Amino acid sequence: MRRYETIYILRPNLGEEEINTIIDNANGIIQSEGGTIIHLDRWGLRKFAYLIKKETQGTYIYCDYATEPAAVLEMERKFRINDAILKYMTVKLAKDITAEKIEQAKVEIATRQSAKESGESEENENSEDDDTNDSDE
Amino acid sequence: MPPIKRVFARKKVCRFCTTDQETVIDYKDLKTIRYFISERGKIMPRRISGTCATHQRQLCEAIKRARQIALLPYTGSIPR
Repeated sequence: MRRYETIYILRPNLGEEEINTIIDNANGIIQSEGGTIIHLDRWGLRKFAYLIKKETQGTYIYCDYATEPAAVLEMERKFRINDAILKYMTVKLAKDITAEKIEQAKVEIATRQSAKESGESEENENSEDDDTNDSDE
Repeated sequence: MPPIKRVFARKKVCRFCTTDQETVIDYKDLKTIRYFISERGKIMPRRISGTCATHQRQLCEAIKRARQIALLPYTGSIPR
């Protein structure tokens, strides 16, 4: 089992249902090889930094999961065929992950998210003392 | 002995070394990365940003990943 994360970008004009089917299909492939989804996040519609297939924006889906390499290959093959997916990127996070590590990661993400929601105001901490040395001698 | 020319310089510290050592530079964290790219979307050299070699390497990787998935531009201005 390896841990991966994939970001895929869907065309902006898709309906909610179509988005759901695409996500379900991708998750199905991951789980068919005995994998698990650790975290799935919809970033929603975002503007691109450059045009992708003549589109200026797209729906970002972020998925963190653990599965076998074969499932990733299959999923990416499907992505390439599917016209609704503009782009995807998979990053390998860990080459070995056990079941308990998966659970641990799930808990970690959950706690981080709740922490983020409760304390949003911890921004300006490390600005350092950059502008204190006015050196003229 | 020639006088040592004092060029205006301040000690540059790696931003990642001063904070938490364990943080991995994440390509999704645009707020952090944005500090290390120029207005034109170029990666800031180490001599300017002061990042240490280890973190510059990680940063570089992160920026390139962000570019791949259209979070950052390869060229041109940074979207806001």
